[in-house]
Amino acid sequence: MRRKRGARFALICALLFILTLVMLLPMIQTFLYSFSSIEDMKAYMKTRGSFDGEAWMESRLSPAMFSLGQYYQILITDNTVLRLFVNSAGYTLLILLGQALVIPAMAFALSRFRFPGRDALFFAIILLMLLPFQVTMVPNVLTLRSMGLLNTVWSVILPMWFSPFYIFLIRQFMVGLPGELIEAASIDGAGTARVYLNIILPVCRPILGAAAALSFADCWNLVEQPLTYLAQRDDLQPLSTMFNQLAKENTGFEFAGAALYILPALFVYMFFQSDILSGIQLTEMK
Amino acid sequence: MYTKKRYALPFLLPGLAGILLFYIAPFIGGVWYSVTDGSYKNAFVGFQNYLNVWKNQMFRLGLKNTMELSLICAPLLWLLSFVLSLLLNRIRPSGGFFQSSVLLPYLMPSSAVLIIWLLWFDFGGPVNRLFALLGRDRVIWLEGAALRLPIVLMFLWKNLGFCIVIFAAALQAIPEPLYEYATLEGATFRQQAFTITLPLIVPSAFLVFILAWINAFKIFKEVYFIGGAYPDEPVYTLQNYMNNMYSKLNYQNVTTAAYSFAVIVFALFGLLFFLQKRAQRGLN
Repeated sequence: MRRKRGARFALICALLFILTLVMLLPMIQTFLYSFSSIEDMKAYMKTRGSFDGEAWMESRLSPAMFSLGQYYQILITDNTVLRLFVNSAGYTLLILLGQALVIPAMAFALSRFRFPGRDALFFAIILLMLLPFQVTMVPNVLTLRSMGLLNTVWSVILPMWFSPFYIFLIRQFMVGLPGELIEAASIDGAGTARVYLNIILPVCRPILGAAAALSFADCWNLVEQPLTYLAQRDDLQPLSTMFNQLAKENTGFEFAGAALYILPALFVYMFFQSDILSGIQLTEMK
Repeated sequence: MYTKKRYALPFLLPGLAGILLFYIAPFIGGVWYSVTDGSYKNAFVGFQNYLNVWKNQMFRLGLKNTMELSLICAPLLWLLSFVLSLLLNRIRPSGGFFQSSVLLPYLMPSSAVLIIWLLWFDFGGPVNRLFALLGRDRVIWLEGAALRLPIVLMFLWKNLGFCIVIFAAALQAIPEPLYEYATLEGATFRQQAFTITLPLIVPSAFLVFILAWINAFKIFKEVYFIGGAYPDEPVYTLQNYMNNMYSKLNYQNVTTAAYSFAVIVFALFGLLFFLQKRAQRGLN
């Protein structure tokens, strides 16, 4: 009996381990390929798209020869990727800053206060969360145009400050907090602002971290918004919309570009990993 | 719970203003576009736009594909993440490495990973090598109906981790003796999964299903990156239709298609919520 359980345990472990490897392979491969020389990569990528029934692409995991040529190209010689990278970073930073000011406060109001229309508002937020971007695309463009924001960076940044999904996520967490926490502080004479800043926010750390990481993923991967709101401004596009074009041109440095693009997401992930796990565990999922 | 309303205002107002301005007002204002003709007089035309759009071949194709893709993606994602989190629960407390690695793809930018995807699914690439090894014919993955597979796989790859985390959190709350008892009684793994585990985690299971479906409806980035604005017919989504109508400045068609879709989405999720409430009442 004991032995059998041991065998099953090993089997599950092996299965999950293989799956983990497959899931991580795209990132690993990107980093390995990024150390191949530009000429090498160009030649390799040219073998793609052949429909010759006899020919195969060479399967390789790592470069034949280690080289920093791709990185030299994107970091020093040609600053296209770097410029787009800076754009992306700017958008991400400004969006996250705005969200930090607006979203937890709104979640606090929705979870800890009673006022007329609260439930209707929360319901509207859930409905908005369900819809794809394109549903309100046209009216949004018209609103932004009338405010004079279209084709400026703010057209991408401002609407993201009020992302319904994160209001929902943080509100669900705050609803689950024990009421005594606030009562005790109120009896000690703390006002709402104090309670919010000194008690609610610190206690919500896991979900705030989780939301920040997930929102970072959204910002770093913005596609629809820049394509519609910044249609006439190629210079303001982030990496997420332009990277694909660069990769198609067979420049030879696409993997170093991809590696550079992945790296911040990797850091954010490592930094907030435990928050994501515990934040979701503690959230009221109903 | 605070009852004094005016204290809520400073917290609520900035967010409320933004939500109204950038989400609710456009949503309501857009209705106007879907019932006018868009000429310089902007005459009221009732449901004419809706009739036109619903008759449009490309709209129907997009709607059909979006529905089909989400019906493939969402249940598959739900089932896979349920089974994997059960397995993960079996080997607790080990498996932390797995849990944290599968979450990583959720944060990865699609376009950076896409090159690898294109390599894997190339006609001469590893996936076809695997097929040849198994004695099957090679497939042209990046064209036509076969393109759905890489897109579905990319969707699963990206969203699996998040769903597993939600499931795993719910599973950890189930007391262990319940399973020990069931095992003593001779219940199989599958019986345990569907008669003990699933009823106990209905809220989380439901949430995962909803999130999976929301994200499945939003599959567009991947299609756009692989196929451009006009991808092959089997993967032409509703978002492609709306974007293309937008770039032709046909705002009437975009909003009409958008609201048609919104109504379908709301009806669908409304039905799901209703079923979930019923299911939960049935269990209590």
